[in-house]
Amino acid sequence: MFEQAISAMASVVVDPYLLGLIFATTILGVIIGVLPGLGATTGAALLLPFTLTMDPVHAIAVLATIYVSATFAGSITAILINTPGTSAAAATTFDGYPLAQKGEAGRALGIAVISSTVGGIFSVLILCFAAPLLARVAYEFRSPEYFALTVFGLSMLASISAGGAVKNLIGGIFGVWLSTIGAERVTGIERFMFGNYELYEGLHFVPIFIGLFAISELLVQSKTIDKIIKTVSMKAVKLPTLEDYKKIWKTILRSCGIGTFIGVLPAEGATVASMIGYSEARRWSKNKKEFGKGSIEGIAGAEAANNAATGGAMVPTMVLGIPGSGTTAIILVGLMVHGLRPGVYLFTEQVEKVYQIFGSMFVANVMFMLMGLYAAKLFARVSLVPTQILWPIVFALSVIGAYAFQGQLLDVWLALIFGVIGFFARRHGFSVAPIAVGLILGEMVETNLQHSLKMFDGAWWMILTQPLALMFLVFAFLGLCGPMIFSWITRQKD
Amino acid sequence: MKNIYFVPLILSIFSLAVIAIALQLDTSPEMIVGDSMQARSFPIFLMILKLILIGILSFQFYKNNPKPVALEKYHTWGSMFLFLLFYLLTVYTDMFIGIFVVIFLMSILWGERRIWVTFLTATITPGLVFLLFDYVLKIRFPRGILMNLYYG
Repeated sequence: MFEQAISAMASVVVDPYLLGLIFATTILGVIIGVLPGLGATTGAALLLPFTLTMDPVHAIAVLATIYVSATFAGSITAILINTPGTSAAAATTFDGYPLAQKGEAGRALGIAVISSTVGGIFSVLILCFAAPLLARVAYEFRSPEYFALTVFGLSMLASISAGGAVKNLIGGIFGVWLSTIGAERVTGIERFMFGNYELYEGLHFVPIFIGLFAISELLVQSKTIDKIIKTVSMKAVKLPTLEDYKKIWKTILRSCGIGTFIGVLPAEGATVASMIGYSEARRWSKNKKEFGKGSIEGIAGAEAANNAATGGAMVPTMVLGIPGSGTTAIILVGLMVHGLRPGVYLFTEQVEKVYQIFGSMFVANVMFMLMGLYAAKLFARVSLVPTQILWPIVFALSVIGAYAFQGQLLDVWLALIFGVIGFFARRHGFSVAPIAVGLILGEMVETNLQHSLKMFDGAWWMILTQPLALMFLVFAFLGLCGPMIFSWITRQKD
Repeated sequence: MKNIYFVPLILSIFSLAVIAIALQLDTSPEMIVGDSMQARSFPIFLMILKLILIGILSFQFYKNNPKPVALEKYHTWGSMFLFLLFYLLTVYTDMFIGIFVVIFLMSILWGERRIWVTFLTATITPGLVFLLFDYVLKIRFPRGILMNLYYG
């Protein structure tokens, strides 16, 4: 197994086509990352239809590369123009931009590049070791455990950074309801189709995701047309000095752990990881006063954590079929479209493909480091592309991408409708990621609940007698009610 | 009624409508469903959960009194109108004519004043995307005025 994994990962380096694909996608990912509004999730949603005709490994490698490179690239604009290219880079602006204003933009970018690369590579290594181990545990799972696990995944939506807990749960339930559209799997009864037989097999994820992430973002961007961008000049990216390394190595290591752990939690993502990475860097720092004024520990803490979350988020995605973030939800759809069913099967029958995907992520981390060090200045200019040119192009890519998936116009209309729904949801403080996660998990929840009921002759409470299922349900309860219980206990103590 | 309760109201109406529709769904014979649940049960269960959450959300609004959301600029409404225009053009003329017109008008609506730039963007983008999908990905596009000329 170990030798097979190593040789599969190494095969990425000797495959010129795959290397070229990763290189081109890294450039695209960095461009997507530096364009404000076009984050990793939107980029992956737009690119998903282009990967349909590719070999499964190449397709997932493309999506994973977009994920890691766009997550890093958000820091370039965060440092140079005080506008995070992705929400995961928001914490980088706190110290990155002040340091750039002091005339040290090159140093700030150098620290961001190195921290992101270490974070990314660390999490890929953890992914390589943790994923097969978790898959072995998942081997024991039956319907009650999977049902409880998906309930746990849905409960974690309450803690997604954007939106409030209640709003996120409402979004998640709406997503689960969307998964019930079409013929019911056991009885074949048509639900909410209104005579439209193109919906017989249910709503497909691709047009919905394009609508929710790309088209809704287009409408959001239409509100920020008049925004004036001030750039900070920079000569070249500077690698951190030995003195800098001495100052930040502990912060990087800490953030690597934090980011990977946060990423592994279902429905948590790089944004939460970077915020916690930043606040922990501040808490442990000897120079707390420097934070907010250009602290290199602040930049390292946020950047190492957000890239470490990328590998972490791939663990539940590939092992359990539970996406760790909006982008991994799209990667999960990519896996399913290409016949790579996430779970134990993937780690027993498709080991080589799995490790080639991990190897691709590893190579992507090295490639974005090189691009960050030698071409960050060039990429920063891309962020100045006028929105009035960029977003109409995104519109064209979205509608053609939605159509290309199944070759039916209904998907284009669905993408537009869900774009408008997503926009109004965001306008009222609802995040769209819970809808996407709910849509993916919906079928799992219902099917496993049906199977569990059949297993226990309709006695639903028997699910609670299964130790692993009970554990996940307790976690779900704590995730939902824990904050309220703890605040009540604190109030009682006071 | 305050504007802030508009969202919970819409969500509640939606949930009740789903429950009403779900109650009209067919039921399957006992021998097929067995000890499991009817097709209507799960969506109804979800909507009841959602109604409970909407109640909590309304209570939060009552306690915190959030600011009402400001109306969008004309760019946003205009972009949504262009989606509708795209639908009409695609259905009655051709998808690529729809894309050309929407890119052109959206660029102008969003503030681009150089007509040649908008024209080039509106022409080159669908052209390149068509070439990529048609030649490389072998996707057949829906028939319309232009596609009839191309496919014959």
